[in-house]
Amino acid sequence: MQDGLPMTTSRISRLQKCIAILWPSFLTAIVATGVFFSAFDPDDLFPFDADPEISRLGFYTIGFLLFWLIAAVSGIGTLYFAITNCMRQGQGKQDD
Amino acid sequence: MTSPSTKGSREPQPDEQLEQSLYAKRQKIFPREVHGLYARLRLAGVLGLLGIFYFTPWLRWNGHQAVLLDLPARKFHIFGLTLWPQDFIYLAFLLIIAGLALFFFTALAGRIWCGYACPQTVWTEAFLWLERKVEGDRMKQQKLDAMPMNAKKLRIRATKHTFWILFSVWTGFTFVGYFTPIIELGQRLVQFGLGPWETFWVVFYGFATYGNAGWMREQVCMYMCPYARFQSAMFDKDTLIISYLPERGEPRGSRKRSTNPRELGLGDCIDCTMCVQVCPTGIDIRDGLQYECIACSACIDACDDVMDKMGYQRGLIKYTTQHEMTGGKTHILRPRMVVYAVLLLVVMGIFAYSIGTRTSLGLDVIRDRNRLYRETADGLIENVYTLKILNMDKVAHRYTLSVAGIPGIELFTDMKDIEVTAGDVMELPVRLRADEAELKVRSSKVMFELVASDEPELSVQEEARFLGPR
Repeated sequence: MQDGLPMTTSRISRLQKCIAILWPSFLTAIVATGVFFSAFDPDDLFPFDADPEISRLGFYTIGFLLFWLIAAVSGIGTLYFAITNCMRQGQGKQDD
Repeated sequence: MTSPSTKGSREPQPDEQLEQSLYAKRQKIFPREVHGLYARLRLAGVLGLLGIFYFTPWLRWNGHQAVLLDLPARKFHIFGLTLWPQDFIYLAFLLIIAGLALFFFTALAGRIWCGYACPQTVWTEAFLWLERKVEGDRMKQQKLDAMPMNAKKLRIRATKHTFWILFSVWTGFTFVGYFTPIIELGQRLVQFGLGPWETFWVVFYGFATYGNAGWMREQVCMYMCPYARFQSAMFDKDTLIISYLPERGEPRGSRKRSTNPRELGLGDCIDCTMCVQVCPTGIDIRDGLQYECIACSACIDACDDVMDKMGYQRGLIKYTTQHEMTGGKTHILRPRMVVYAVLLLVVMGIFAYSIGTRTSLGLDVIRDRNRLYRETADGLIENVYTLKILNMDKVAHRYTLSVAGIPGIELFTDMKDIEVTAGDVMELPVRLRADEAELKVRSSKVMFELVASDEPELSVQEEARFLGPR
């Protein structure tokens, strides 16, 4: 922004955007998985309708991936709103 | 960020063009191998930490794996200690201790974590070592990189990646070995009989190792590491930093060994750029303290070596503090250090105390969800519960169960003896009956107490609610 250029999504490379979304959500997912599954045993959560093929390790894995997905979706939202806000502000400055 | 700031660039441009003009592509870094005191220290750190990581799952303790975070069985074995999901608080404690220790050591010695102990550094060192073994030194690596793809380059690159991948798979396997018994895991691995989830995690962790240590390297520190962003908040003028001494080094310039630099009007820096060549993050330490610097001290070793060759005094680049650089004295005992140290000791004390006095008995009370209460034939109010009794001890115990909180409350269970084998959980359905006249409110507090018959000090209490019509 120092150079007066409007902030656009392309100021951040696609790879950096991916990292910015996937990496913090990965860390969040680890914590969420740890807290969630230490409080709830998957065998208690799905005692009857669980597929016996899916072991506890499987539930943990699926849980972790779901947490990662949810956190990543939230990250996409944050990045989207932050960038579109910056773009608006950048355009506002240009109009002055 | 470098970007052209001409008037023309204010015009909206197609996305692709902007991306190209605004982002300098990452320059691949080929750190030169370095020898010296700090390189030896780092090597010791790398070997020690990798040794601990790869060796620990193979340790045995009383006939079982010494460190096994047995996720499938929901029990963590750490030498003589067995932790249950109920003990999650200890993990939180450990994380707080680790965080405080990081604060303490950062304030004291700057980014020594980054330079010597961070897994990113440690694994990158291992990958760099493999790379040097296959591709040769820095010059050879640069030459190979610039070469167009041919049979020789393909062969060398394929060899390197094969070694990297093998090492990564071994790393992923070791990682999973912390969570499922590693000997059985190894047997299944050689028989190609790994379960789908185990395979997923071996591949996932292996891929992360390969990607982070082989490809991303310093970019992890620069773009992904949260610690790199906030570590400077712990810094003060007495924190150990790596710095170039400009007043001694400048003006820099090349000269013959035999000449007296003072006659030429030169400082001690001969501008050989060795400090830049050895830097794993590709910065020039002579530009001052930069957040990219992971304090690995490779530049100190490189510069000391050059100073020796030139016959100058060592320490043109060295560990110092801002106070020392401005002619003052470094204070180690300062309020910030004392606060961090006291906090650290208090939390560690609480942790050790609570681990030491942990009861190896757990009791969970779950109310029957189907019905709030029931009136029995003889007019009493009955509530139904399921008790989960966890024997976290190493031996089996018999327990006596009692309840208190409402006058005349009675406890019924179908089980004559409550006996739980070592490391087991028992579910015990229990009915409580109380006289309606004794119930003052709709929901009264009752307290279950479980005492080991053979060891009265081994007891646990758990609160529950007793619901009635009022």
